[in-house]
Amino acid sequence: MKVRGEQTLPLEPTAAWELLLNTDALAQAIPGCEGLVPLGPDEYQMKMKIAVASIQGLFAGKVRIADRNPPNSYRLHIEGQGKLGFVRGSGLLSFSPDATGTRITYEGEVQVGGLIASVGERMLDVTTKMMIGHFFNNLAQQAHH
Amino acid sequence: MATTTPTTPTKVQLKVGQRLRRQEDPRLITGTATYVDDIKKPGTLYAAILRSPHAAARIQALRTEAAAQAPGVHAVFTGADVEGVGPVPCAAALPGLRVPKHTILATNRVYYVGHPVAVVVASDRYLAADALDLIEVDYDPTTAVADPEKALAAGAPAVHPEWPDNIAFTQNTVYGDPNKAFAAADVVVKQRIVSQRLIPTAMETRGVVAEWSPGDKQLTIYSSTQIPHLLRTQLAIMLGLPENHLRVITPEVGGGFGSKLNVYAEEALVGFVSMRVNKPIKWIEGRREAFQVTIHGRGHVDYVEMAAKKDGTITGMKIKIIQDLGAYHQLLGPLIPTLSVLMLPGLYNFHDAEANVFGVFTNAAPTDAYRGAGRPEATHCVERIVDILAAKLKMDPTEIRRKNFPAKDAFPFTTATGLAYDSGDYAKPLDKAMQIVDYRALRARQAEARKQGRLMGVGISTYGEICAFGPSPATPAGGWESATVKVEPTGKVTVMTGASPHGQGQETSFAQLAADAFGVPMDDVVVLHGDTAVVQYGIGTFGSRGTAVGGTAVHLALQDLRAKCTKFAAHAMGVSPDEVSFEGGIFTSPKTAKTVTFQEVALEAYVCRNLPPGVEPGLLVTRFFEPSNFAFPFGAHIAVVEVDRDTGEIRIERYVAVDDCGKVINPLLVDGQVHGGVAQALGQAIFEEAVYDEYGNLVTGELMTYAIPKAHHVPEIETERTETPSPVNPLGVKGVGEAGTIGCSPALVNAVVDALAPLGVTHIDMPMTPQKVWRLIQERSQA
Repeated sequence: MKVRGEQTLPLEPTAAWELLLNTDALAQAIPGCEGLVPLGPDEYQMKMKIAVASIQGLFAGKVRIADRNPPNSYRLHIEGQGKLGFVRGSGLLSFSPDATGTRITYEGEVQVGGLIASVGERMLDVTTKMMIGHFFNNLAQQAHH
Repeated sequence: MATTTPTTPTKVQLKVGQRLRRQEDPRLITGTATYVDDIKKPGTLYAAILRSPHAAARIQALRTEAAAQAPGVHAVFTGADVEGVGPVPCAAALPGLRVPKHTILATNRVYYVGHPVAVVVASDRYLAADALDLIEVDYDPTTAVADPEKALAAGAPAVHPEWPDNIAFTQNTVYGDPNKAFAAADVVVKQRIVSQRLIPTAMETRGVVAEWSPGDKQLTIYSSTQIPHLLRTQLAIMLGLPENHLRVITPEVGGGFGSKLNVYAEEALVGFVSMRVNKPIKWIEGRREAFQVTIHGRGHVDYVEMAAKKDGTITGMKIKIIQDLGAYHQLLGPLIPTLSVLMLPGLYNFHDAEANVFGVFTNAAPTDAYRGAGRPEATHCVERIVDILAAKLKMDPTEIRRKNFPAKDAFPFTTATGLAYDSGDYAKPLDKAMQIVDYRALRARQAEARKQGRLMGVGISTYGEICAFGPSPATPAGGWESATVKVEPTGKVTVMTGASPHGQGQETSFAQLAADAFGVPMDDVVVLHGDTAVVQYGIGTFGSRGTAVGGTAVHLALQDLRAKCTKFAAHAMGVSPDEVSFEGGIFTSPKTAKTVTFQEVALEAYVCRNLPPGVEPGLLVTRFFEPSNFAFPFGAHIAVVEVDRDTGEIRIERYVAVDDCGKVINPLLVDGQVHGGVAQALGQAIFEEAVYDEYGNLVTGELMTYAIPKAHHVPEIETERTETPSPVNPLGVKGVGEAGTIGCSPALVNAVVDALAPLGVTHIDMPMTPQKVWRLIQERSQA
């Protein structure tokens, strides 16, 4: 499944870049995040509760940051699994200044498997977009504080 | 026993042939029936199963410690713990068949999404499910292939590494000289025809309750199954238990359709767990779990060719069947496409044919018998290709069929594939169906509609099927059926059938047989089934065999018991048995003008005040009926449809089903079977398709993404019958459980193709979703 979109944060690019690499901020912003523990430089262990349609459960996995190019872009790799299935993906986040702060565009590919795939791509697509939306809204709120 | 002087007996109306409502319905529609999930044993623990999210992966590590310590959890078992349990059985004995070792839990690899990996047992089902989250499995995913044609392609990933070509078996069968027939043909038509993978979707998912009794070392398994006795035998082998230490009870079954004609890993697993933890264990399959792991049906890609003369005489047929078998063989899986081969000639009189079957492994749920099992696929192919031939020759589809039927005096008719069709008059149901729809007027109306640019179509299907499974040599585990009939001292009649009805209504139809045999009311008869401690051995209900084979066994036992009753009655009246007549529950001796009632005979048979010489006490008989052949029902279905040009939606204006299932015991039950069968085939024709993505994920894994027909999608079904008794059994019955499913899908597809014919459409594959039909209309309209 292709994931692509853009969001804005009311911060200038360097601050946005830093926020998007701040463990506490991320842990608070990721919907359903139940723990984000650094494993080493640019690598985290994450537990996340996911609910898609009537399927919900815990995913455990890793988040890894690569190809750092501050404050312009980095690549995010995720992988997680649980009894509901697995999620694997990677995407490029690019930061560029705009009138209200920073425009963040993301583009990547996510593979979802197991039981959670049974709800079909249409539902997964909507849910993924919704979760990404929540994530950036949460970050934006943190930026205001 | 007292005898009385006869009064003039009133003519008794026999129950057989009457449209009687089902004895079993009151409990089913008032919610008082007992299903597996209603079984509540004190101290029950609940099992939840961890399943693979990957279609293909190596298991590198499996950690269960955290789950084992979770609240309420009693035990966790993995593949290593169940090594002593035998493999899930496959009864298909095909030459050269590759049979992967099918352990009840995965060991070092998983082969499909849903593959069971571990089981957690906890004090309630929620705690068990929660604990699954705490099991950590390190998977190393490998490339999967879930499409059978892709699995056959060079370089495809190997489902089982030991068999890189993904071929489980091939079967080539040549009948007569097909190459000569094709070389000499005036016309040859070809079509690739898909019978897509379907998910049976019984209303009740599977479920197992196992209770180990350590004192007497008895294991009781409650399972939602169609085959309690075969299951008991197989579970005894798998669990290493003496068979007489195992009892299988099948309470009410909320739908099977073949999906419960199996021996599943979970049935052994739950038994194993109960023996290990010494507690009753319950496992109820979730709906999504059912979608992933209970067998799927169909899964054919067929390449069909038909040869004919200019006048429409069919001279030969060739088929290549690619059967998607999934990752493992369940009980009968690989046999199903071989039934398609047998059914290939349909109702048509030609003798040169060739069939090539490729049974293909894929990283997907196993396929196996689903209502019709191989015969709907074959019938769909035959009935479609005959229509394609008719279109090519510009013949009316009813005419080409009629031309190729064997004559009604040609029975028993030996088909190209060597079956001996027992009895038939194939033009009769076609005539009747055409008369019901007023075929000539219908075609005139269609011509008018076409002038107006409307897409109206008429679809014909004249199907045949193989029923009443079957002679034992032609079946993997015995094809007979058994019955015990017991007359109680009070004159009540208990029938124990080895067929294990689960919605077919045999508690009613068998009670009709018994009521007529003894002249008792229906309510005096109880039909018991589905408990291996109550019922003598039996085979089960599938392949439209319940009445033709199981009912015949009941009939034979009833005949024997009636004869024994007659001996008691004759002795009491002081005459010989051949001087006794029987009607309406009363034995009469015209010579001595005496009577005794059936109830008086019943009591005497147990109290034995005056036992006839040479006659044993008691009234209990067990009979086994071994059929000499299958029975071959047939029929004609006509669908009238109109396709909405703007939306691609199909409106079914009329659906007429004229079926010939031989003698009918209860017309209401037959109608019910036809209705259900048609609805199920309508599901395949228009709505249903199990779809795996390129990674082997089942993306139609729940009722939101897998469409089954709802009540409002099903048109009024006009049923009619012709009656050609079968000579194979004394009841003259043939079977009707699968007729609707087999006859319907080609009728609907033929109707839609006919509707779209003005646009140049010659074929459409199922499911004919509005989107697919709309696209076709758009493409052809622009062309």
